[in-house]
Amino acid sequence: MVEEKEGSGPSKPAGETSPQLQEPLGHVKKSKQQVSEGFTIKAMMKNTVVRGPPSAGAFKERPPKTTVFRKFYERGDLPIALDHDTKGNKIAWKVEIETLDYNSYLPVFFHGLCEMTFPHEFFARQGIHDMLEHGGNKILPVIPQLIIPIKNALNLRNRQIICITLKVLQHLVVSADMVGRALVPYYRQILPILSIFKNMNVNSGDGIEYSQQKRENIGDLIQETLEAFERCGGENAFINIKYMIPTYQSCILN
Amino acid sequence: MSEVSGVMANAEIKPKFTHRAKKWSDGVENLYRFQQAGYRDEIEYKQVKQVDMVEYWPETGFVKKLQRRDNTFYYYNKQRECEDKEVHKVKVYVY
Repeated sequence: MVEEKEGSGPSKPAGETSPQLQEPLGHVKKSKQQVSEGFTIKAMMKNTVVRGPPSAGAFKERPPKTTVFRKFYERGDLPIALDHDTKGNKIAWKVEIETLDYNSYLPVFFHGLCEMTFPHEFFARQGIHDMLEHGGNKILPVIPQLIIPIKNALNLRNRQIICITLKVLQHLVVSADMVGRALVPYYRQILPILSIFKNMNVNSGDGIEYSQQKRENIGDLIQETLEAFERCGGENAFINIKYMIPTYQSCILN
Repeated sequence: MSEVSGVMANAEIKPKFTHRAKKWSDGVENLYRFQQAGYRDEIEYKQVKQVDMVEYWPETGFVKKLQRRDNTFYYYNKQRECEDKEVHKVKVYVY
C-alpha cells in the first residue's frame, strides 16, 4: 500500500508519522534564521543573516537654526520694508543701496539664506539680489565673509534652500569683476554638498518667486552653477572644481 | 552710470487726458515702474521730488531707482518687469 504524503522526503525513516500528526520534539531541527548586526560574534553563527548597514543620512535634511538675519530683522536693524503690490511682494529700501556698508550688511543677508519662512526668506533673497545688482566693486572685499553663510545654507540639505543658494551663487560670480576668481580658494568649502546632489534630478515641486528664474531641478542647477564658476573663475577654476567633483566635465575645454 | 537729463518740470503741468496701454513697449515699461512707485510718470516724479535727473539702466534704458513718497527706495531690474497681464493696468497720460 502506497501512501502518498505531501512534503515527506525520500530519506525519511519508516517509523516516522505523517506530517499532519504531531511530530516528536527534538528530532527535527528547524533552520530558523536570525538577524543580527554586523561585526558581532552572533554574526559569525551559521544560521545568522547580517542586517545591512544603516542609512548615513546624506540626503536627510538638517533642522534649521536661528540665524543672525532673523535677529537683525526683528530688531529693526535692516534697512528694508515690505511692500505689497499687484505682482506680489516687493522690497523697499529705507536707504540707498549705494550708501550701505556692504561689509556688515551683505553677510547678514547671506545668513538669511537659511530661512524658510515668510517674510524672512523673501527679504534675504530679494535683498541679496538688489545688493549684488548695485554693489559694483564693493562686493569683492566681502567675499571671504560670505563663505560660511553659503556653506551653512547648503549644509541644511533642504531642496528649496539649495536651489535658491545656487541661483545666488550664479548671480554672485557675474555681479562684479574678479569675484569668480576670488571664489576659487573657497571651492573646497562649498562644493562638497554639490557633489552629493549633482545626480539628483528630481523636481523640488516648489515655485520660486523670481520671474526670471523658474528652474527647480537641482541636478541641472548644479551643472549651470559649476559652468558659471568655470567661466568666471579663470585658469585654475576647472582643476579646482574637478578636484572636488570628479565627475564634472569642462564646458570650455570641450 | 549714465543718466538721462531732462528739463525741470513746470509745477503747473497736469495731464489733459489718460488712456490705458494696450501693448508693451519701453515707454510702457518705464510708466509701469513709475506707477509702481506711486507716481503718474516721470514728469510728476520730477515735480514731487524736485530732481532733474532720473537714474536709468544704461544697457536697457529702463528706470533703475526711484524714491517713493515715504522716502523709501525702489530698485528695479535691468530687464523687463512689466508682464503682459499687467500692461493693461498701465495708464498713459497725455499732456
